[in-house]
Amino acid sequence: MSDVERHEQPVHWFESNPNWFKTAVFYEIHTRAFFDGNDDGSGDFRGLQQKLDYLQWLGIDCIWMLPFYPSPLRDGGYDIADFYGINPDYGNVEDFRIFVEAAHERGMRVIVDLVMNHTSSDHPWFQASREDPDGPYGDFYVWSDTDEPYSDARIIFIDTEISNWTHDPVRGQYYWHRFFSHQPDLNYENPAVQDAMIEVLRFWLDLGLDGFRLDAVPYLYEEEGTNCENLPRTHEYLKRVRAEIDANYPDRVLLAEANQWPDDVVAYFGDGDECHMAFHFPVMPRMFMSLRREEALPMIEILDQTPQIPDNAQWGLFLRNHDELTLEMVTDEERDYMYEEYAKDPRMKLNLGIRRRLAPLLDGGRDEIELMHAILFSLPGSPVLYYGDEIAMGDNVYLGDRDGVRTPMQWTGDRNGGFSRADFAQLYLPPLMDPVYGFQAVNVEAQLRLPTSLLRWLRRFIELRKQHPVFGVGDYRVLRPENPKIFAHIRSFSEDIVLCVHNLARTAQAVELDLSMFAGRVPVEMLGNTRFPKIGELPYLLTLGPRGFFWFQLQDPADDQ
Amino acid sequence: MTSDLKTRIESGDLHFLDGLVLLGTIASQRWFGGKSKDVLDARVLDAGVTPGEPPILAIAIVEVRYGLQTHDLYHLPLGFRPSADGWKESVIAETEGWVAYDAIADPELARRMLELMRTDSSLQTPDATIVFRPTGELPEEVESARPMGAEQSNSSLVLDERYALKLYRRIAPGMNPELEVLRYLTERGFDHTPALEGYVAYEGRPLEATLATLQEFVPAKGDGWDLALDTLAGGEPDWVPEHARRLGEVTAWLHNALASDPSDPHFAPEDPSNEALGLLSASIDEEIEQVFASLPDSPALEQVRGRGEEVRDHLRLLTNIGHVGRVIRTHGDYHLGQALWTDEEDWLILDFEGEPARSVPERRRKTSPLRDVAGMLRSFAYAASAAKIQRNVDPPESWEDRCRAEFLDGYLDTADPALLPSSRDQVERLLTIFELEKAVYELRYELHNRPDWVAIPVAGILRMLEQS
Repeated sequence: MSDVERHEQPVHWFESNPNWFKTAVFYEIHTRAFFDGNDDGSGDFRGLQQKLDYLQWLGIDCIWMLPFYPSPLRDGGYDIADFYGINPDYGNVEDFRIFVEAAHERGMRVIVDLVMNHTSSDHPWFQASREDPDGPYGDFYVWSDTDEPYSDARIIFIDTEISNWTHDPVRGQYYWHRFFSHQPDLNYENPAVQDAMIEVLRFWLDLGLDGFRLDAVPYLYEEEGTNCENLPRTHEYLKRVRAEIDANYPDRVLLAEANQWPDDVVAYFGDGDECHMAFHFPVMPRMFMSLRREEALPMIEILDQTPQIPDNAQWGLFLRNHDELTLEMVTDEERDYMYEEYAKDPRMKLNLGIRRRLAPLLDGGRDEIELMHAILFSLPGSPVLYYGDEIAMGDNVYLGDRDGVRTPMQWTGDRNGGFSRADFAQLYLPPLMDPVYGFQAVNVEAQLRLPTSLLRWLRRFIELRKQHPVFGVGDYRVLRPENPKIFAHIRSFSEDIVLCVHNLARTAQAVELDLSMFAGRVPVEMLGNTRFPKIGELPYLLTLGPRGFFWFQLQDPADDQ
Repeated sequence: MTSDLKTRIESGDLHFLDGLVLLGTIASQRWFGGKSKDVLDARVLDAGVTPGEPPILAIAIVEVRYGLQTHDLYHLPLGFRPSADGWKESVIAETEGWVAYDAIADPELARRMLELMRTDSSLQTPDATIVFRPTGELPEEVESARPMGAEQSNSSLVLDERYALKLYRRIAPGMNPELEVLRYLTERGFDHTPALEGYVAYEGRPLEATLATLQEFVPAKGDGWDLALDTLAGGEPDWVPEHARRLGEVTAWLHNALASDPSDPHFAPEDPSNEALGLLSASIDEEIEQVFASLPDSPALEQVRGRGEEVRDHLRLLTNIGHVGRVIRTHGDYHLGQALWTDEEDWLILDFEGEPARSVPERRRKTSPLRDVAGMLRSFAYAASAAKIQRNVDPPESWEDRCRAEFLDGYLDTADPALLPSSRDQVERLLTIFELEKAVYELRYELHNRPDWVAIPVAGILRMLEQS
């Protein structure tokens, strides 16, 4: 027989679906922290690849990876020293390509953090820029003879930085940086910078990557007399990026990190021609506030203020991520309240936020963790889980900066929590070993075995959410019952109608809901498939246990054959 | 009028078929998988058409939409002839002087497909390229074409008693595992499966998918399932036990071949990850819980009703195995019906699609080869019961045990020990886990599809409980 020809091109494992991200469950991974595949004490792509079956089992649709580029690691890799490389600790570009293909084969997509706003001061572009102001990179950064321009721009890292300008003795000028002084901002006024960054995007998309989480997007441009955030030209540039993607890279996604009020953030969706997704930052602290205050109002208020977004856009929602629980988008009074309730130890505070993981924030309460996930999954948007939170991992406030929430993933009760076979001293950070959240008490292996574990519960819950695209694409309508401790709302998409009722109180509650518009329908509780009494014209009475919740599908009995 | 429609067909515009007509055709097929769903409509998503005189062959991708924003894609090869031809087989619609029908009913069009493969041709569609590729030497002329019956997810034709053309109906993105595995085995000269001779694939923006494979057709006395029932009913109860050892050996050769190339990442044997067994048993555990939580009223279920917890406890005891061997690509849907007893008197293994109800990533996942072995063991149990249900014959009491023992001996004597757990005790435990997985899957399937057969998986579950 003749030669059997082989597929040279990678196979596409997905059906075309430009809106896949609207019903997806995301999972954020710190590559360094996930699994060490070569026994050097630091997680890597080979290790991550070995854990893909776990993520597929959990029901994850898309992995979001923190930056993996070469970096001096003075900001967890967000200080990128080469946009075209891989930090040697993690592997090389080929390892990455193989990892992405392995994820695709399992039906999972991969997006990666990309910092467009700035580079590390180690980046060759910056080194060339400071040494040769007239050279090709001389104008790649924002230089000034004084530190006076753009004085209306706030300082973000207030714990470490005193100005957005830093003097460079080599060039004898000040350079602009919205974040750390070792992270000079790129100069988007320069068309060469605009083109160079699009080339970077193309490089990774050509390798098969499914998109980017764009870090710190509001700050690309500066303009005198403004706060230098969300400027029109920043949006213009993002539209150019989107046009490039739409033309050449179908089914990829841009996820904007814009820690702003919803009114400002929606601008990053454009008219469906800018970013596909953006994080909804302000809703997150209010979920914690609602839980502590036992009232739905803080959440309802922020959702009321959230504008409509284009049909082809989606919010990214999360409980916790790799950063501090940010309190920039709350009032001073609310911030004080949050600090008092959730950061009793001053070490827990960082900048304007609280550097703790989900489980310790909720005092390890299983009911609270489930309730917060239920609320997260019920809101309009796509949930983004943070690695380790599915097993209720803890944090280590004695580690510097945000390292306390970036400790090794806890796989087993064995040495180094099963994260690495290297010597303990070689590990990039020590795993948690305290009696409550340490790897001997909290690990994947144990929770896989225990049918009642959080991990097993969450997997079932993810499966349930994914069976109902209405959570991703449906309308959201809040109910306003008299009992302020109940957060109840309706999600609907044509005939698929879901009622979500959550009790924020630590005591049992009764609530009467006005469901008269659904009279005749039968609520079917979705976790257990239990039919509840038919809805009539009178208020519908429900009782909920402490921190309990119900999700019902409101079925039309006429549809039952 | 007639020529107008011909122009539309030739340009690939088949939307005149959209809607109820198309839906009616698809929904009545055995291979239609959406029978229990809330079907909204069906439309031609894309089509590639062969030029030339009628009959016209069109390879269509049809989208069936359901409620809740979901859909399935089906491959529907269509034939078009002028009404004057008087074509009557598998007619979908007759309009404007043309008859549209399922092309599989037309030997002329089956020959056309083979010709396209032989000539390494492609069809351009608005959204994609449909490629026809030969992997063997194909003949210029084909005389006969006869249907071989429709399965859950495909339909097959036999051409000239030399080739089997298998059309996948419900299509999924990615490469069909059958094409992948057949290609791998054919390249390596594995001679216990019919060689791959060609394939058809859709490569385009909506998705990439395998549409058909062409395999060598091997004349046979029957498949293992039919032979088991026939020999039991025909007074030859020793036949399967006497040939089970050979089946075990052939199965082991298949696994050894599938595990033979460490340089091919899609086939290289791997050590299972630390969680592999935990993930497996957690999945089975959830499945048990779900199935037992909603057992309907049926006397056949009395012996297992309320014993879900007991089954789960048993599973937990079994999973303390330690070493589970290696994970490899496997058959994936292994049972007696997949083994063919040829005219040359040896076993051939067929059908590498995997369980059609599972997703492609799940079907391609590497797993312990013992999962296939457990599938065959369950199949012996099914055959013994089916002899009673369908042929009204009681197999000898030891029949199933003998089949199991012979098959296992042949398998374990032949399989590469590196693929398996290190001790016989561990092998048996892992087998029991996979048999339990299978039995629970069967229980769910039978409850939905064949309530009369529920007793079979129930007996399998009880057998395991009694072992403790």
